[in-house]
Amino acid sequence: MSQLAMNHCGSEQDDGKYAGRPLLLVGNPNVGKSLLFTRLTNTYVTVSNYPGTTVEMTTAVAEIGDEKRSIIDTPGINSLLPQSQDEIVARDLLLREKDIDVMQVGDIGNLRRTLLLTLQLSEYAVPFVVALNMADELRGMDAGPDVVALSQAVGVPFVSVSALRRWNIGKLKLALESACRGSMAVSYPRAVEEGIVAVRDALELHAPFIANRGVALAILAGDVTLRPLLTASCPASVLAKLDDLRAAVQSQLARPLSTLISHARVATVDELLATMQRKSASHVDGLRDRIGRLCMHSFYGIPILLGVLALAWLLVGKIGAGTLVDLMQKHVFEHGINPWTIRLIDWLAPFPHKHVVTGGVITAAYAGHASGFWGNVARTFHDLLVGPYGVVTMAITYAIAIVLPVVVTFFTFFGLLEDSGYLPRLAVILHRGFRKIGLNGKAVLPMVLGLGCDTMATLTTRILDSKKEATIVTLLLALGVPCSAQLGVILAMLAPLGITATLIWVMVTLATIVLAGWAASRVVPGEPGDFVLEIPPMRVPRLSNIAIKVAARTEWYLKEAVPLFIVGTLLLYGLDATGALKFIQRLLGPLIIGGLGLPAEATNAFVIGFLRRDYGAAGLYAMQRAGHLTPNQVVIALTVITLFIPCIANLLVMLKERGARMGWAIAGFIVVYSFGIGVVMNAAFKVLGVVL
Amino acid sequence: MIHAASDEVLERLWYAAEEARAVTLPGDLRLDADGVDLNAVLDSLIAEGFVQFGPGYCLSPAGAKRARGIVRRHRLAEVLFTQAFGTNLRDAEVSACEMEHMLSESVVDRVCAFLGHPPVCPHGKPVPAGECCRIYSSSVQPLIRRATELPVGATATIAFIAPKTLSRIDRLAAFGIVPGSEIRLIARNPSCVIGCGSSSIALDDDIGREIYVRSVA
Repeated sequence: MSQLAMNHCGSEQDDGKYAGRPLLLVGNPNVGKSLLFTRLTNTYVTVSNYPGTTVEMTTAVAEIGDEKRSIIDTPGINSLLPQSQDEIVARDLLLREKDIDVMQVGDIGNLRRTLLLTLQLSEYAVPFVVALNMADELRGMDAGPDVVALSQAVGVPFVSVSALRRWNIGKLKLALESACRGSMAVSYPRAVEEGIVAVRDALELHAPFIANRGVALAILAGDVTLRPLLTASCPASVLAKLDDLRAAVQSQLARPLSTLISHARVATVDELLATMQRKSASHVDGLRDRIGRLCMHSFYGIPILLGVLALAWLLVGKIGAGTLVDLMQKHVFEHGINPWTIRLIDWLAPFPHKHVVTGGVITAAYAGHASGFWGNVARTFHDLLVGPYGVVTMAITYAIAIVLPVVVTFFTFFGLLEDSGYLPRLAVILHRGFRKIGLNGKAVLPMVLGLGCDTMATLTTRILDSKKEATIVTLLLALGVPCSAQLGVILAMLAPLGITATLIWVMVTLATIVLAGWAASRVVPGEPGDFVLEIPPMRVPRLSNIAIKVAARTEWYLKEAVPLFIVGTLLLYGLDATGALKFIQRLLGPLIIGGLGLPAEATNAFVIGFLRRDYGAAGLYAMQRAGHLTPNQVVIALTVITLFIPCIANLLVMLKERGARMGWAIAGFIVVYSFGIGVVMNAAFKVLGVVL
Repeated sequence: MIHAASDEVLERLWYAAEEARAVTLPGDLRLDADGVDLNAVLDSLIAEGFVQFGPGYCLSPAGAKRARGIVRRHRLAEVLFTQAFGTNLRDAEVSACEMEHMLSESVVDRVCAFLGHPPVCPHGKPVPAGECCRIYSSSVQPLIRRATELPVGATATIAFIAPKTLSRIDRLAAFGIVPGSEIRLIARNPSCVIGCGSSSIALDDDIGREIYVRSVA
């Protein structure tokens, strides 16, 4: 849940509107590009301790020297031979933008991987500098690599920095002025070198801007992801020639070209590292390493996972959905804001009516009639704000009192999880299980992210290597993973029902995920991708980062959800005022009353559930609190709303990412399935005589 | 050809002895003779002192030594083709039948070491131990094995990577996982995790098995 939410200023919208000479941040995943971006531009982007936090470009302006320059944050790449969609995006930007500088961000503790990318940037002939980040993590007396020697060997400035502790950020900005093309080069076998020259000659005429060594090597290596770029700029004859060249070079070699090229690169980097005379930092097995290993241990990993879940329950379920919701709803809203607002509106827009008073507190429900034009105006105004479907008494109360506390506590918990480096370890634990539903451990990241926000998680499916997995994860997210806002309401509703009801809800939801995944893995065509996931070191989460992250995400929630809550309330008000609501309730009656066994009033919840299912859940919560739902009904309604489409935004992202056909297919399936399961549950409760 | 035929007969006699089966008639060899006069081959083997005829045909000590070498080559070849090259068992067997006649003893010992002195062939029959196996018997450290077969925590050098798809090579190379690199097996369960340089990388078991490593001496 990152850039899209926070910054609606992705590069897609403002092409060609860069300030100054743009600077592209590139680097391996999880090396702190986003944090460095934040430091350079003072613009917040989500920062976590797992690869794949950034899936979109983010642009912001920084002052470097005397000029303002656009800085572009990119998803992490392992190599310039891209393997997944987010890597392609980063590589293409590198090729398409002609007048750019690049800042490679690398992990100072992982020079080998950093230099592998440095080498490729040299081959791509872009002017760049290298920021060796995380200098604060070098252990004790380890002085770190010799940046001067590195600068000389590669031919571009190297600066060791710590984005976290703001070390050397000024020095890095200075170094940017001497960004230049790298001189680090690999000597490939003669046949390859000749091939490079031939490919560059072939490209020179039609696509001079990509006629560099790096692109030539990618073409020789058979990089299919370059196709769109090549077909856009070169005639078919040139494409055919490139294919011939590649075949000609390959025929002279014993090993596949791509293998030969990537291995030659590693060998060159290893040679350079050997000359650096750095004692191969003998691996010190610290406490963090041991904790990290325990988290993905086949035995101890399970109690740790249960512990993490217990922490989630304690923080989100108990403190968030319990204490804080109680405080906000009862004390702040029902006894404070709402009565005061109702009195204020009654005074501003008087018409003869009397509010229902429960327990000495004035509520939105009222009895009374307005007459005359001004009376009706006053009543409309009154109802819009403080009626049963009023913006204050319904939308704001739900959004702030019920959902917000849960969102904040969930984001806090989730921030701890993200920054500690636990999530990739969870992927290791769940990998084999996920294989059974056509996914691999990598899919754990978007799935867990979905507990925060399904919309953002759907975007994160870009880190998955295969379309098949992205499709399955999109389906499972929309179907079975409740987002934090909804989860909070659900937890609050389950709390008074006890363990059996909770277990039924959990089991139905989990079984749905497993079954839907299992079935989808057989229906969706394609092969599951390879599971190759870097495990970052465990890190102690920094409270300041978590606080910033929670604040940013909460702000996003307020901006994203509250307007929709208000729209939903106005919609309900409109439907109610025009009598359409009664009509819909009658129309859906057979399904809601007959099929699900719920009161007609529950239709309202499902109507607004189309906008956001957490709002729908909040509506059910209000009904439960008013004593309009039996425990059986609560569990059925909860399960249906859990499995329902998350929200309008999620639907839109689904259509955008998966295409209209697949998007609608998923949405259609979910609507039918969620109500179907509710009908089945209702019937099963009746037949088995279950009374919760 | 006669040479190969006599090898086949010796091999069959070894199998018969393994199964404690008497060979009283050439037919008991269960050898698809294909026009070769087995009686003549047996006679010449008796004349050369490789086969004895007591109550039935059996191997002399010299014959047993030769047969042992043939069976060893055959079964090692089967292991080589199935485990290192991923050939299916039937193809492996056909090729093993050819290889059993030609490798020198020192080459066989190297193949044996390469494979980690396997005790049994893919069919589960014992591979006759060679001199190399006896030397290594105290520390059964195969020279080449799959990364997933390393003891957890052990370090080894990548000998070669035999991936199902070529793109895996590039993907692994991006993490510095190439032949010659040193890797550490951090965990085998619940998923394979290897350390390379300062990176820890979780891998599919499939991919882990495609990485062949040589233990660091």
